[in-house]
Amino acid sequence: MKKINTLFLVFCSILILRSELVHSHNLIGVSLQDEEYYKGLYSTGKIKCKDGSKTFTKSQFNDDFCDCPDGTDEPGTSACPSGKFYCRNAGHSPLTIFSSRVNDGICDCCDGSDEYSGKIKCKNTCWEAGKVARQRLTKKIATFQEGLTIRKHDVEQAKISVAKDEAELSRLKEEENILKGLVQQLKERKEQIEKAEEKERIQREKEEKQKKEAEEAKLKEQKGEEKVNAEEQEPVGTNTNDETGIHDHSPLDQDLDSARADLGDELAHNDDNAAFVDSLEEEHAEKNEEPFEVEHEHEPSHVPQEDAPEDTKSLSREELGREIGSRWTGKRSEQQDEDAGTARDHEDDDEYDETSDNAHDEESDGYDTETEEDHSKYEDDDTEDHMNNVGDGADDHSSDSHKYASDDEVDMSDMESTSNPSWLEKIQQTVRKFLDAVNVFQTPVDTSDSENVRKEYDDASGKLSKIQSRISSLTKKLGYDFGPEKEFFSLYGHCYEIKENKYVYKVCPFKEATQVEGHSTTTLGKWEKFDESYKVMLFTNGDKCWNGPYRSLTVRLRCGSKVEVADIDEPSRCEYSALLTTPALCQEGRLKELQEKLESVNKQQPQGHDEL
Amino acid sequence: MKKSIHYLIYLTLFLSYLTTTTHSWKKEEFRNCNQTPFCKRARSRHPHSCNLIPSDVTITNNGDLVAKLKTKPNPDQDSSDDHNPDLEFSLSVYKDGILRVKIHENQEKDKKRFEVPDVVLDEFESQKLWLQRFKKEVIGDDLLESFVVYLSDGYEVVLRSDPFEVFVREQGSGGARILSFNSHGLFDFEQLRVKKEGEDWEERFRSHTDSRPYGPQSISFDVSFYGADFVYGIPEHATSLALKPTSGPGVEESEPYRLFNLDVFEYLAESPFGLYGSIPFMLSHGKSHGTSGFFWLNAAEMQIDVLGSGWDAESKIALPSDQKRIDTLWMSEAGIVDAFFFVGPKPKDVVKQYASVTGTSAMPQLFATGYHQCRWNYKDEEDVKNVDSKFDEHDIPYDVLWLDIEHTDGKRYFTWDRTLFPNPEQMQNDLASRGRRMVTIVDPHIKRDEGYHIHKEASKNGYYVKDASGKDYDGWCWPGSSSYIDMVNPDIRSWWADKFALSEYVGSTPSLYIWNDMNEPSVFNGPEVTMPRDALHYGNVEHRELHNAYGYYFHMATSDGLLKRGGGNDRPFVLSRAFFPGTQRYGTVWTGDNTAEWEQLRVSIPMILTLGLTGITFSGADVGGFFGNPDTELLVRWYQVAAYLPFFRGHAHHDTKRREPWLFGERNTQLMRDAIRVRYTLLPYFYTLFREANVTGVPVARPLWMEFPEDEATYSNDEAFMVGNGLLVQGVYTQRAKDVTVYLPNGPTWFDLRSGAAFKGGKTYKIEVTDADIPVFQRAGTIIPRKDRFRRSTVQMENDPYTLVIAVDSSGAAEGELYIDDGKSYDFKQGAYLHRRFTFSDGKLTSVNLATLGTKFLSDCTIERIILLGHSSKPKSARIEPSNNVAEVELGPLQIRSGVQSSVLTIRKPNVRVSDDWTIKLL
Repeated sequence: MKKINTLFLVFCSILILRSELVHSHNLIGVSLQDEEYYKGLYSTGKIKCKDGSKTFTKSQFNDDFCDCPDGTDEPGTSACPSGKFYCRNAGHSPLTIFSSRVNDGICDCCDGSDEYSGKIKCKNTCWEAGKVARQRLTKKIATFQEGLTIRKHDVEQAKISVAKDEAELSRLKEEENILKGLVQQLKERKEQIEKAEEKERIQREKEEKQKKEAEEAKLKEQKGEEKVNAEEQEPVGTNTNDETGIHDHSPLDQDLDSARADLGDELAHNDDNAAFVDSLEEEHAEKNEEPFEVEHEHEPSHVPQEDAPEDTKSLSREELGREIGSRWTGKRSEQQDEDAGTARDHEDDDEYDETSDNAHDEESDGYDTETEEDHSKYEDDDTEDHMNNVGDGADDHSSDSHKYASDDEVDMSDMESTSNPSWLEKIQQTVRKFLDAVNVFQTPVDTSDSENVRKEYDDASGKLSKIQSRISSLTKKLGYDFGPEKEFFSLYGHCYEIKENKYVYKVCPFKEATQVEGHSTTTLGKWEKFDESYKVMLFTNGDKCWNGPYRSLTVRLRCGSKVEVADIDEPSRCEYSALLTTPALCQEGRLKELQEKLESVNKQQPQGHDEL
Repeated sequence: MKKSIHYLIYLTLFLSYLTTTTHSWKKEEFRNCNQTPFCKRARSRHPHSCNLIPSDVTITNNGDLVAKLKTKPNPDQDSSDDHNPDLEFSLSVYKDGILRVKIHENQEKDKKRFEVPDVVLDEFESQKLWLQRFKKEVIGDDLLESFVVYLSDGYEVVLRSDPFEVFVREQGSGGARILSFNSHGLFDFEQLRVKKEGEDWEERFRSHTDSRPYGPQSISFDVSFYGADFVYGIPEHATSLALKPTSGPGVEESEPYRLFNLDVFEYLAESPFGLYGSIPFMLSHGKSHGTSGFFWLNAAEMQIDVLGSGWDAESKIALPSDQKRIDTLWMSEAGIVDAFFFVGPKPKDVVKQYASVTGTSAMPQLFATGYHQCRWNYKDEEDVKNVDSKFDEHDIPYDVLWLDIEHTDGKRYFTWDRTLFPNPEQMQNDLASRGRRMVTIVDPHIKRDEGYHIHKEASKNGYYVKDASGKDYDGWCWPGSSSYIDMVNPDIRSWWADKFALSEYVGSTPSLYIWNDMNEPSVFNGPEVTMPRDALHYGNVEHRELHNAYGYYFHMATSDGLLKRGGGNDRPFVLSRAFFPGTQRYGTVWTGDNTAEWEQLRVSIPMILTLGLTGITFSGADVGGFFGNPDTELLVRWYQVAAYLPFFRGHAHHDTKRREPWLFGERNTQLMRDAIRVRYTLLPYFYTLFREANVTGVPVARPLWMEFPEDEATYSNDEAFMVGNGLLVQGVYTQRAKDVTVYLPNGPTWFDLRSGAAFKGGKTYKIEVTDADIPVFQRAGTIIPRKDRFRRSTVQMENDPYTLVIAVDSSGAAEGELYIDDGKSYDFKQGAYLHRRFTFSDGKLTSVNLATLGTKFLSDCTIERIILLGHSSKPKSARIEPSNNVAEVELGPLQIRSGVQSSVLTIRKPNVRVSDDWTIKLL
């Protein structure tokens, strides 16, 4: 308390001293920090401009003529283009304004000190403005405090979760190793059985051998043709595989495996066969890789109208009008319906269907479960929220968050809890049993034995592929940059929504951002990275705009006690920007600054108030 | 599956093909001369095919010379059934060397040929010189006598009988020719006639059919300019200032210069193709005669060939061969011959003569001469607020924020999209509180929607243009199905003007001004993206007859609306894309939808200079280029040049990235701020020049040859230009330029306004450039007023003090002018203005009053700084009379801008009032 009093006294005396200077020496527009610099004028009669380019005298100081290119001789007038004017704004925060604002007939400083020519009388509004500002600051501090608590919790949780994920990953890798061995053994056994069976079959069908061979020759010929086709598709296939990374998506994989099996032994090392398998894999991969599919399957609907500009002769009057108009608007002509004026850049109906199909595909892919502990904690935080400092009462949009199922998440439910190794042991036992029991050298082969081996092989390899999927998804997840303290970890696997007019925007950190209107979904961007030292999230390479760039979204991050999309906008066509509040941005250092600022403005209050 | 993969590959290929082809000028969608029957016919006609002879030549009691043009009897042919009625010829002479020739057909027919109303000034008629008599003269071996009348001091007009031609010459029978009409006998006038049996008058182009109910009615003739090195004018084309020949030996197959107002998507930087506006006024300039001009008042489609020398080699023309000559061929689809000949002889004489026919530029409000910020579209009120505040945040001045079509409720003009702009008045008032204005767009196409009040009234009252069948013409534009207000009718114009009343235009405030776009008119589904030629206007006039003037009447009606709104005392500001002779009286134009390319920056200079030569001084190009994204360097260079051009507006297509000046990093923000600030410091000079244009018709931005008519090196220079008579501006039109070549015209010394260094004229210099600015020189002998203080907008500059920059010539003298008024009203017409002349000689600067109406305008502004360039002595002080004060003289900067090093003689704080008479003598 005593300390504060002393400070207060010192402060007041500075102000008194200062106001004397202002009045006697016309220190108008001079900041507190600069008073020392200008003192030289009164002791020596002249000083150097701050940029050192010239010197100016006392009579040249604030004489409404610019002598210093940097404006240092005219802090209180509009004479220098690069000058700055300082207003004290007692009762509120001091403000430095461009000298272009001095005596321009507009009140810029709340204390009115920038307008002294008499042309206009400015009311001193510092007290009211200061009060509002202090309240805002107080509120902001509260948000920071609250956010900081959540942040700390998130950071702790993130550490635990990451450790957990890492542990799981290393365990899965071990299991993968074991399972790989088993699958290999089963495979060998299965092949032995099949070989035996084949032998048997050959024996049995000896009399039909002639006919059989003719048929096989025919088959080979066909394979040859397919090879040609498969080669043509090669580049596409390679590309797709790169993107998917893993081929082992369950339902089709089984088809593939059985196809492989069906081909029989003698074809196993045949090039034709390999090519055929490749082509199957391609089809498979294509089905699973929607982005690729989306882009291209859109096209047929574009073709007729994009073709049209090249020959507008054949169009009806209305079509022609739409077509020509679309050159300027960049909208496809169909979109300019009766209400073209209000209809903003949306996709046409054909595209709605396409995209909604895709959306559906995505859901039915079956990757919609994720391990519970991954995404429960944030929701808890949400329900506990007390205060919402963002959104600024905007009523035309609302914000919401939900979990999303990552593409890469795998249904592991049939393996029970992955932390329990018993299923693996069970498999190991079963396999051992089989390997021991089935005597491949026995003829005729016991059909139930061979069925069992095949089933067991299919089971084991299915499980292996699931484990591998999980490994890859975990690896991917752990590969993300969650911030220096992993403070953004809790945002993983969540989407945050905002409704703006007829659109719902979804921001899913580390995944993608979309704009949904009815059944149509437009990708605004895929997760790219953090930028500006974790103050911005970038989503790039979204759906391409007709005649324009690929869509992108820049998300500015701001401290808030809740994760919420506070605002979304499209400042340039197809370049979106959003504001997201998150506790991750509520940093201790910044809180301290705010608190200090509040302290300092509070100190000025009495003085400011007295002046009123 | 495999099939679909093939399909995908094809599609990918097809798409990449599309992206490279959709963005380009669709040449085939526009008619070329060969596809335009009247043009094709006229171009293929042989010299001397005109067989008309004037007869019954008399002087009427109106003081005109009139004659009948009769078809010469052809002895080889019995012409009794194919006899053309006589044409009516009249010739009138006006003050200051203007000749007007009209050729018309007998009007006692059902269909009257269209004569363009409301273009020629009413006052012009009062300047007619009543002819009293003509002289007769036999020229050379002519069989018939010719008729000679007085034109102006030193010039006379000759109506030659056989061969029929009209020419202007210096007085005396051997006088050198200046201009001539039909000297090559290419005159042809297709008279309206009855359709012959089996004749097909329809014309088809692409999917469109023009019914042409009145058949062929075109007119063509040749005009020769004597003593001409180059011809100029006839905008609007994206091409060089000096017009290249379009036909003749050594000229590649070229289209004629087309004058047909069209909305051309992504026009090319070099083409004779017709763009948004048309002014059929051509100037010639040469060392021997000087300047002359020819103007054909006709609003139908026109095509003009500039014929390369030697084009007529085979025709054995007997024209004086000792005179350099440029021949031109003029072709129009309809209308009459109403032609004006201007004798010059100086460049400024010709533009003044033209201005006396069609008017001078309206005096703009001061705010309109500042910087304008536009984009398709500032989306909503928040966007507007944000852009506005960013200008302040970056201390960049600007005066006007623009809203394009998206601000409306479904492209219904005079309405607002209330979800985006719920409080338009509040938004405008907020801008106005910082002295800023807003401009909204109002186009001539009206959405056909029964719920839209404009449509309801227009359709009820029959205010729309009709189609050939007499129904309201229904075309397609931004709102979809639309009709077009028939602006040719003065009553409809008056109705339209009333729509701008504050009570009618809901959401408008007195600080709102207007932008007329798409007024060629643009019709997306019409032939050549415009209205069918057989559409019908008021008075049963076909669209073909007035097409080029449609946008002009629309502009006129809108401008009248703002005038009415302001009680007749608020100068309108209306920007129009389409234009016609006379547009200068109603507002501003810009060069339409240009592209963000260096080439287009470069061609914007000749385009704007040409507009200035042909009457429209207040013009500009979209800074940065409308289509596409300029790279930062191009954008900066564009700002740097455009700051010196009359209309200064940044604009961009909605597919482009945002490009407001602060979006390209600190350095580039600084560069664009500096460019815009240069403009603001020069506003007193610009405003004075706008006043000069308003009084005389001499443009603000001038080709070098206008100021230096004797200097042949300037004749085809269109990279540099003059602002007034004092500043020479050389743009930088290439990427990463380290230096530029500048030609400084012969005569004066030139002072580099960056360093103050002097350069001798008549030489070409290689000048080093940095990214900071472009080379600008002040001509010795001039005084330029500036205001070296920066504000948010022009409004806050009102009371700021002036700086005078005196560039002393070799005799130690200089002079300049300053015009000031209230910047917004018409009070100046009653004398509420200041007009000062500053003269400097013998080390003494004097300010004298030039105002003729007495001074009713008061200004407290002072002069804070006087800079002297090229002054030989080094005075220490200056004495001011009558106050007898002494001001210090010191060395100071030429521009107060950090980083610019210069040290020039500066009179510090003379603080004399700009409204007073005073002298300042260097001691």
